[in-house]
Amino acid sequence: MLRTLWRYGLAVLTVAVALVITKSLEEYTDITPLFYAAIVISAWFGGMGPGLLAVVLAAVSIDYYLVPPLYSLGLGPKPITFLVVFGVLAVLTSWMSAKRRQAEEGLRQARDELETRVQERTTELQHANEILRERANLLDLTHDTVIVRDMNNVITFWNRGAEERYGWTRDEAIGQVSHKINQTAFPAPLAEITAELTRTGRWEGELLHTRRDGSVVTVASRWALQRDEQGKPVAVLETNNDITERKRAEEALQKVQTELAHVSRVMTLGELTASIAHEVNQPLAAIVTNSNACLRWLGGATPNLVEARQAVERIIKDGYRASEVISRVRTLVKKTPPRHDLVDLNDVIIEVLALAQSQARRNHVFLKRELADGLPPVLGDRVQLQQVILNLIVNGLEAMAKVTESARELTVSSGKDETGNLFVAVRDSGEGIDEANLERVFDAFFTTKPEGMGMGLAICRTIIESHGGRLWVTANSPRGAVFQFTLPQASTRAAV
Amino acid sequence: MNNVEAIVFVIDDDESVREALKSLIRSVGLRAETFASAREFLESTRPDLPACLILDVRMPGLSGLDLQRDLVGANIHIPIIFITGHGDIPMSVRAMKAGAVEFLTKPFRDQDLLDAIQQALERDRLVRSQQADNAELLNRYRSLTPRETEVFGLVVKGMLNKQIALQLGTSEITVKLHRRQVMEKMHADSLADLVRMAERVLTTKGTRSTKGTQEI
Repeated sequence: MLRTLWRYGLAVLTVAVALVITKSLEEYTDITPLFYAAIVISAWFGGMGPGLLAVVLAAVSIDYYLVPPLYSLGLGPKPITFLVVFGVLAVLTSWMSAKRRQAEEGLRQARDELETRVQERTTELQHANEILRERANLLDLTHDTVIVRDMNNVITFWNRGAEERYGWTRDEAIGQVSHKINQTAFPAPLAEITAELTRTGRWEGELLHTRRDGSVVTVASRWALQRDEQGKPVAVLETNNDITERKRAEEALQKVQTELAHVSRVMTLGELTASIAHEVNQPLAAIVTNSNACLRWLGGATPNLVEARQAVERIIKDGYRASEVISRVRTLVKKTPPRHDLVDLNDVIIEVLALAQSQARRNHVFLKRELADGLPPVLGDRVQLQQVILNLIVNGLEAMAKVTESARELTVSSGKDETGNLFVAVRDSGEGIDEANLERVFDAFFTTKPEGMGMGLAICRTIIESHGGRLWVTANSPRGAVFQFTLPQASTRAAV
Repeated sequence: MNNVEAIVFVIDDDESVREALKSLIRSVGLRAETFASAREFLESTRPDLPACLILDVRMPGLSGLDLQRDLVGANIHIPIIFITGHGDIPMSVRAMKAGAVEFLTKPFRDQDLLDAIQQALERDRLVRSQQADNAELLNRYRSLTPRETEVFGLVVKGMLNKQIALQLGTSEITVKLHRRQVMEKMHADSLADLVRMAERVLTTKGTRSTKGTQEI
């Protein structure tokens, strides 16, 4: 209300001021410009209404005070034309001024709005940034290492966990090729892993990484592929979890178990042997002593035939006694015949490969399997067959220990040959076997290993032959050896 | 060599071995007595003759090495020959350290065993004759009167008759008489002889009994 009053008052005031000035300067100047100024000011500050009021007031003032006849509202034809022109121009001016004012107001308003919105956006952005930072901090909180790398394996993100685990700071790591800086040892060729990652978007497995200080960690690694809107892979998120200790414990446990099994077998065997040795040695000692005594009874000046005869009788008795010990041992051994179960060779191979995996990784050997589907079972002792295959694999791994120049690969394959027998082949890319030793390797006590007993392959061959099969070795091409054995399938063996 | 007056004890839980050993020992004219266990041996009454012991290491109950330890503990010094089915080095070291004559692995050469037996009996004879001499000496020593014993002790310390008389509060003549008496009773030819005897008496008394003051 007050504002309206002020707006219209302004119109009255400006016109009045224009009139006073014009009136006082009437002799020296023209009459209208100041009124225009009043109208423009009124319209500018007061808007359209006060503008029009100023026009009317100006027109009336000019008519009354400045246009003859003075001090009367009557008009001659010439002043009327002037007033009409003035009126139109004044209205136009007032309108334009008001419009202009409006436009500016609008502009200002728009600018204010814009500013408000910019401010809002800025706040939102800051908020989002904060969340992001918090998330990044969260990534730094985790014990797991989080690494992001692009499709060329160049590291783009490296969290604090990674800094701690590997000993490289973020600044050092970013920009490096991840598999190079960590000296990653893969459980399978990298091409295969990458293929799986591209196909499924994910991969997980165990990796060996080398720290900055040279120590090696085993990590459970999970990879996830990030794609852009077109579905093109852009980055890989890799989270690694240190399982070195667990792994070590597992391996130690496994080793202890294996050793225990071995020791208990050797112990039983050793104790059995000692006991047999003692049992046989006693009568043998008695026989030798009796024989000596007998010779002395006969060799004297007067041979004592009675004593000599008794000595010989004791010798005979002890001879029988020794023989009885032997036959007791044979019955004992016969009491534990090998089991004859239906065994799936592929199952056995898979179990044994799992057992050998950790040693293979330590030796940087890729274990591969090429197993034929739908193989019939064999009749045999599962544990014995496991031992044979494990023995062949471990031999292969050891044979490759010195190979540095070419890929270390050990392949276990299974299948059925043309005669219907099943076969298992273990091929390594190791040093191979001298032509001269190809058959000798199966001899008992033959060994090329410094700590070897030379019994492994001899026992393997005995086991395979007791299963009705054959075990032999040939050279692998281009290098290494192939140990291969055949076993008859269950049905044909049962029929024999 | 007087083998008739000696005896070989055999302890082995295996009857065949026992009988064979007995036959072998008898074939060279020695007396043999067999036992199936260490306990049986300990409970037996043994003739007082030069002897040795053939002992199997591995036996049920008290083992050969245990028996050896017990015998040493009981101050029975009978020479031992060990025989075993499978002897290891620590076992034989332990046996030899505890005073075994020989450690033989079955089956052994008969000559090795017979040699060991001869050696063992020889050792026992020597010990026995020394023990007999010592016992005789001790008897002579015990036949001395208290005053003679006193004089004996002071004489072998190297004191002169005059000093002894002063210490005992008697005359030099009396000391001389006692001294002659001691030399006679101990069958000593000279002062040096007497000093040697004094040492042997001392050690014999020391090993035979731990009690008793050392009057010498």
